[in-house]
Amino acid sequence: MREQLEQIRAQALEQLGDAATPEQIEAVRVRVLGRSGELTEIMRRMPEVPREERPAIGRLVNEIKTQIEERIAVLSEQLKRLAMERSLVEARIDVTLPGLNVPRGWLHPVTQSRERMLDILESMGFEVVETPDIEDDFHNFGALNFPPDHPAREMQDTFFLFGGLLLRTHTSNGQIRVMEQRKPPLAIVCPGNCYRPDELTVRSSPMFGQIEGFMIDRAGVITMAHLKGVLTEFLRAFFGPESAVRFRASFFPFTEPSAEVDISCLLCGGSGCRVCKQSGWTEILGAGMIHPNVLRAVGYDPEEYQGFAFGMGVERTALLKLGVEDMRLFFENDLRFLRQFRSGEAVS
Amino acid sequence: MKVPLSWLREFVTVDAATEEICRRLTMAGLEVETLTRVVPGFTDVFVARVLKVERHPNADRLSLCDVDAGNAGRARVVCGAPNVRAGMLTAFARVGARLASGVHGHGSGSLEEAEPLQAAVIRGVQSEGMLCSELELGLSSDHQGIVELDSDAKPGEPFQTYLKLPDAVLDIAVTPNRGDCLSILGVAREVAALFGCKLRPPKIKGVRISREGSPSEFSFDVEIRAPELCARYAALAMNHITVAPSPLWMRRRLELCGMRALNNVVDVTNYVMLEIGQPLHAFDLRQISGQRIIVRRAGEEREFETLDGTRRALQPDDLLIADAERPLAIAGIMGGRNSEVVASTQSVLLESAYFEPLSIARTARRLNLRSEASYRFERGIDRAGQVNGLLRAAELLGALAGAKPTSRLLDVEPRPAQERRIELKLSYLNSVLGASIPVTEVRKRLKFLGARVETGTRTLVVFPPSFRPDLNEPADLVEEVARLTGLAEIPARLPRREAAVAIVHEERRFEKRLRELMVGCGMVEVKTLAFIAAADNQRFPGFVSIEGGATRAEPARVINPLTAELSEMRLSLLPGLLNALRFNLNREATAFHAFEIGKVFTTVEGIPREQRRLAAISYGDYAMGGVDHPAVKAGFFTAKGILETCFRGLAIEEVSFEPAAPSLAPYLHPGRAAQFSVGGSMLGLIGELHPAEVLRLDLEHPCVLFEVDLATLMTYASRAAVTVNLPPRFPAVRRDLALLVDSEIAAGLVLATVQKLDVELLESVELFDVYQGESIPLGKKSVALACRYRAKDRTLTDEEVNRAHNLVIEQTRSRLRAELRL
Ligand SMILES: [Zn+2]
Repeated sequence: MREQLEQIRAQALEQLGDAATPEQIEAVRVRVLGRSGELTEIMRRMPEVPREERPAIGRLVNEIKTQIEERIAVLSEQLKRLAMERSLVEARIDVTLPGLNVPRGWLHPVTQSRERMLDILESMGFEVVETPDIEDDFHNFGALNFPPDHPAREMQDTFFLFGGLLLRTHTSNGQIRVMEQRKPPLAIVCPGNCYRPDELTVRSSPMFGQIEGFMIDRAGVITMAHLKGVLTEFLRAFFGPESAVRFRASFFPFTEPSAEVDISCLLCGGSGCRVCKQSGWTEILGAGMIHPNVLRAVGYDPEEYQGFAFGMGVERTALLKLGVEDMRLFFENDLRFLRQFRSGEAVS
Repeated sequence: MKVPLSWLREFVTVDAATEEICRRLTMAGLEVETLTRVVPGFTDVFVARVLKVERHPNADRLSLCDVDAGNAGRARVVCGAPNVRAGMLTAFARVGARLASGVHGHGSGSLEEAEPLQAAVIRGVQSEGMLCSELELGLSSDHQGIVELDSDAKPGEPFQTYLKLPDAVLDIAVTPNRGDCLSILGVAREVAALFGCKLRPPKIKGVRISREGSPSEFSFDVEIRAPELCARYAALAMNHITVAPSPLWMRRRLELCGMRALNNVVDVTNYVMLEIGQPLHAFDLRQISGQRIIVRRAGEEREFETLDGTRRALQPDDLLIADAERPLAIAGIMGGRNSEVVASTQSVLLESAYFEPLSIARTARRLNLRSEASYRFERGIDRAGQVNGLLRAAELLGALAGAKPTSRLLDVEPRPAQERRIELKLSYLNSVLGASIPVTEVRKRLKFLGARVETGTRTLVVFPPSFRPDLNEPADLVEEVARLTGLAEIPARLPRREAAVAIVHEERRFEKRLRELMVGCGMVEVKTLAFIAAADNQRFPGFVSIEGGATRAEPARVINPLTAELSEMRLSLLPGLLNALRFNLNREATAFHAFEIGKVFTTVEGIPREQRRLAAISYGDYAMGGVDHPAVKAGFFTAKGILETCFRGLAIEEVSFEPAAPSLAPYLHPGRAAQFSVGGSMLGLIGELHPAEVLRLDLEHPCVLFEVDLATLMTYASRAAVTVNLPPRFPAVRRDLALLVDSEIAAGLVLATVQKLDVELLESVELFDVYQGESIPLGKKSVALACRYRAKDRTLTDEEVNRAHNLVIEQTRSRLRAELRL
């Protein structure tokens, strides 16, 4: 048995001496030290050994086992070092090759603009409320002081649906929807899509986003001066603090007094250019004090409550902010156009 | 409304620059959209009188004319115009003059490039200048003869002065509430109010008309059978008329205002309408039978031919002007062919009425017939301006066409106007505006508008003028004061705010998270129109998410679509995404991974529903491509991976997928489509596009689509409460389980079955392999699961793990009739 063990030792050490790869070393380890390896086999045959020799044989087995294990450890270490040194020479890469493409998308520029506008308005204390696109005549027109057949209706051509309903022409239906449900004080913005029978062209689209905002409180609390303050603050936050804002009288059936709000032309800064038709101003939104007839339509007493409302086109505002000149680009979804807004920073 | 500045200045003297007038009007709500400069297209042209006309000695068609151009001198010119005659006043271009339109209209149109006119010998006779046609002066295309001027022209007056040039035309966008500004006088009143200067309305002189019976050759009656649609009707007959072209000055004004000159009678009615806002109509008196004008509804009348030669279908409520026998005009909109003023007309009946705005609007819109008259009636004309308009027209017709009144003036007013009285509290005005405008300022502004104002200490009593039907309550007056004072005078203030917590819109926050997840998965957001072709709705019928399942829905249909391709509201976002895909493939793209969040519209039992959806499309190389690394191609599992990433990101567990019923998603590949649900609610559909659609759209690769109902998704996302546990302190032990099951059994079912087993210590189960083929019996497949066992309070012994794992094996076998694969 002793000779047998010595023979195992000699053979193993010799083979390890010749081993050049981790696989060869592993083969020796398995053959000698493995679960059914040579040493394990010897240990299993221990009962055959006379009792008095057993401790000595046992010690020898352990000695051989330790010796081979140490040898394997040293050899493995050497091989790893060699492999490492080889890899330093051989495993060079061309670091200028492109990386593997991990997908990453981005948001539509109109979404980026709309979210920015809503973020600003939320920070100013407005609550966002969602209202329906499919409306009845009352919520889109009647309650907003558009009498039937009135020429004011021609300001807003309308898509009608079979079944007596229509597609809202503005988000102003939000005023009515909210006021019917709630009582002042209210500070609300209603974003959403609106529809008017205009072809998709450079300046128009049959579907477009709007944001309606309104603030109502007891009579005398929310005034036209506040309308001016809030919109000026909002527009400067969105377009930049250097923007000038001007209010010009206008007409909407659902506000009185009504105003168109202009900002100084973003292209020329107000000195006059082709885009602003030399006026230095760009029309950006419509606003006014809510008309007493609108308050009456939802059962508010105009003697008791008053407030302001405003509405702005999302695409139009985005066009101005981003310096894009063609509305169609927003609905064509040409990746070569959209890609430019990858960073999401164009409207922040 | 086009307003020539020269005409405006007849009614108001304002010494501000044109630009300033435009700016102030614009700021006050009368937006000047364009300002067009009108400059003369000639130099050195003068008013001249033709003194003598002789035959040219060498040419039959030419004349030799002596002309007197006052201070500009006398000359002898050769003239070929047939209308030249001694005594006439005309336009004379002296030697050195330049004509942009050139002689006989052959010029370049540019004054700078025009050659100065030279003295010339024409057929042997010297000509010192020329007499000009309107074409040659750039005034019209008329080259029939030379210009003929009224007797008011003074020889020697520079012709551009006579034409009031240079001039400017303001094109004003008049808002629907301001019918009063659809006249030169109305705009002048506005200018006067803005600049605080005096208004000079046209004074009518030199008409003698009897308002009572007295001697008249023609007598007639006016009967108003529809007083609710016609509050007032005034009329006057005139005879001795010579129908002829209007003088140059009137034609010029009409044309600068965008109207075409026809003949003196029609031109006068248009001129008065432009000047003071009262639409008028002239009937040929010969055509009126029964000496009677009846204002009535169409009733039985079915059809009427208007003077443009079109037969118009009538409705019973349309208002007509008729005589004893037949209709003569559609009231306020257009006259009839049967009573039109023609060249042979010698006498007319002039009509000046007030028609109810909404009635005119309804008829005009239905007939799609908008005239300058109907445009004004719709917006409300001066409620008291009828007689004034009639007199002004009579005066002009007398001067221009030799017309004489031949009847008394009939003025029937079945509904006299009510005076409006508005009490305006100063405190109200200032509390709406947030300003403090003094009472004197308020009174001054309102008076400029023509209102009568009685002043109290804190309240003004205001009687609005008859031409401002839009002023009815205090808010209307607040607006007037605000816009005339200038909105710039109102301070800008921020509202005082309580430090209340802002109310967050959960849906918006949720969609924001979802968008970020989609972007993180490589998806680009797109935006498509909600209008769609009916065929697309049929191909992509969408689904309605309701508790317990899904049903088909009817689309919402548009009555007046832009095109047939946009005639329905989308049931699904997918057709829009496929359009966007095709659009990009046609433009260099080879891959397209996009999503949209938007509304779909359905009608369920006649009630419209709007549902927010997330939809995505994935086509072509999707991920991990590079040099020497083939990219992962979009397919069912890449898209499903995106969905699962979203679900994980929203902490939604237990979404179950099952093969989609082909009837639910006919547009998807029947073998590669799934519907998924959570908590028994249908959540959405995912799958590869049906091969037939792939062919139709001419695609080269599989195209994967999914669509998710956001309301359902959000419901479960918000339910997922986060529970916090400490990280495990003791290790888990993995034991694999390879099962042989019938190949029809979905792997998901096998996994779910094992996950649901109630075995203590079993922590989690994951699917890691599905295998069919060599060494697996036909009709079977191998599903390999990794089971993890763990105890909270100790490291498990082999024995404990074996016991639990055996339990798992036993129960799985019996539930799935599965064999263990060794
Ligand atoms: Zn500019």
